[in-house]
Amino acid sequence: MTDIALSPRRSIARPSATVLAVAAVFVLLFLAGIGFGSTWIPLETVANVLLGGGEKTEKLVVLQLRLPRVLAAALAGGAIAYAGYLLQRITRNELASPGVLGVVDGAALGVVLFLAIFSGASNSLTVSIAWQPLAAAIGAVAAISLVFILSGRQASSAIRLLLFGIAVAAVCKALTTIFMLIGPIYQASQAARWLAGAVNTINWTEIQLMLAVLIPVGIIAGFAARHLPPADLDDISSRSIGLNLPVYRIFIFFLAALLTAGAVAFAGGVSFIGLMAPHLARLLVGRARAAGIVVSILLGAIILVGADLLIRVALAPLEVPAGTVTAVIGAPYFLYLLVRKDKTNG
Amino acid sequence: MDDQLASRIEVKALTLSYGNDVVLDALSLPIPKGQITVLAGPNGCGKSTLLRAIRRLHAPQSGQVLLDAEDISKLNGKALGRKIGLLAQSPSAPQDMTVEELVRLGRYPHQAMLQPWSPGDDAAVAAAMAGTGVDTMKHRRIGSLSGGQLQRAWIAMVLAQETDTICLDEPVNHLDMAHQLDCLELVTKLNKEQGRTIVLVLHDLNLAARYADQLVFVAGGKVRERGAPEAMMRADLIAEVFSVNAEIITDPVHQRPICIPHRRA
Repeated sequence: MTDIALSPRRSIARPSATVLAVAAVFVLLFLAGIGFGSTWIPLETVANVLLGGGEKTEKLVVLQLRLPRVLAAALAGGAIAYAGYLLQRITRNELASPGVLGVVDGAALGVVLFLAIFSGASNSLTVSIAWQPLAAAIGAVAAISLVFILSGRQASSAIRLLLFGIAVAAVCKALTTIFMLIGPIYQASQAARWLAGAVNTINWTEIQLMLAVLIPVGIIAGFAARHLPPADLDDISSRSIGLNLPVYRIFIFFLAALLTAGAVAFAGGVSFIGLMAPHLARLLVGRARAAGIVVSILLGAIILVGADLLIRVALAPLEVPAGTVTAVIGAPYFLYLLVRKDKTNG
Repeated sequence: MDDQLASRIEVKALTLSYGNDVVLDALSLPIPKGQITVLAGPNGCGKSTLLRAIRRLHAPQSGQVLLDAEDISKLNGKALGRKIGLLAQSPSAPQDMTVEELVRLGRYPHQAMLQPWSPGDDAAVAAAMAGTGVDTMKHRRIGSLSGGQLQRAWIAMVLAQETDTICLDEPVNHLDMAHQLDCLELVTKLNKEQGRTIVLVLHDLNLAARYADQLVFVAGGKVRERGAPEAMMRADLIAEVFSVNAEIITDPVHQRPICIPHRRA
């Protein structure tokens, strides 16, 4: 891609070394995520199968049983982190994340409504559970649309959009809780699993759907990100150098919402990755844009793959949703950011 | 007076309102090429809005702005960004952005998908930083600069756009006396040495009279009167536009009129 090259060559440590180091960690963790299970598969065997080699049983275990779960975690974590990067950059606020735009809670409400509407008298679903991701996506898109509709003409203001996002998220969360309380037991436990963010039940069809959404949106966002540097300025300054920032900002919000919807529809309400990964990436590579995006995506994937691996290692045979781990790490991180921000603001 | 000079910009019967508030009321104003035009007037008279409308940051209800006889509403944002630069009243950028990063943003209107960063862009950035004296601090972060340095960095960003016309909205507002002079001397240099057309909004009438070729008093969304500072700095006109009784004397050093306000009219 032709680079507009508005961000300067940094005089500090070259980001490319950091990108390579983070990528190496990701590859190792990805292989370990596949290798670990009821029987340990050595990393070189995993790598061999992924590159097209291996015996029949190895192939079956790696490609059919273990890869989907790890791949889903990597895709979802990466997509949410990408969305978080876009949001933090466009709002110039390190506390912005997909969670505060109402996208995740909207998806949650979609899932709970789906379970409520299609539950039969015998407490079982009357349609296939495979429709659940669609319900989540509809909920996510409905929530972000509501945020934009409520913001109306103020939608071009980052802070307004975030405030309406938080309000819509709160309403969705409240409704989700109500539906879980009044709904049947099966529904409540199934919804709770999804809400916490679980990748253990994902199959290849779902992965294909995820890729079909995330790859085009990710590429469009990559092109759109070329205009992020002038968007760092205030509205008047950015418009006077020729970027229509109010319109561009809405476009970026929309892309971030789609990335998040594509991820949470399948992986569930994974929390805090969209906040943590871009922030850590910024600490590692500074303001450099391309490196910032790549490292955010890799870190997001690392966090979710790592969280999923951790619960399998530490809590097996119990299947705890991976999202609980990211929440346990993410919530203190969020508090740390808040406290630090207060200090730097004097 | 200067209407025989070629106008770079011609504001024609521009009407602009926010809701029911009419901010500019069929305002017309020629802005002569290669001169410094200063817009002055009481708070809320519409001078900043006029400046932003000249850069098409507000859409007028009626009327038009002609740039070299071409209607600016026909130009796209980037094309306009190569012709008119504007420094906002209180511009903001992330605190950890470096001076050089900021100045490079001035090249944005010159960039396109298939037109990557070129040596010409580097040259424009270097010239803009050298011209404003921020080249020695190009790796410093915006947040670490003093008010005067920060203002120069922003002016460098606008200069890097290489526009023939530069608009500055109250550029000396938060600066001390020495830095006010620095800033306006810099603007004058750009005008005299490079022939750039300058449009300034200034609150300080004495600075306005000292640096303006054309001084424009805006009141109630209209141009009340415009002309050379010597013709504009009259006690009766100042009383009418600014509601202040003042005495006008001549600055013994620069031979420009100075206004000494006595009391509210």
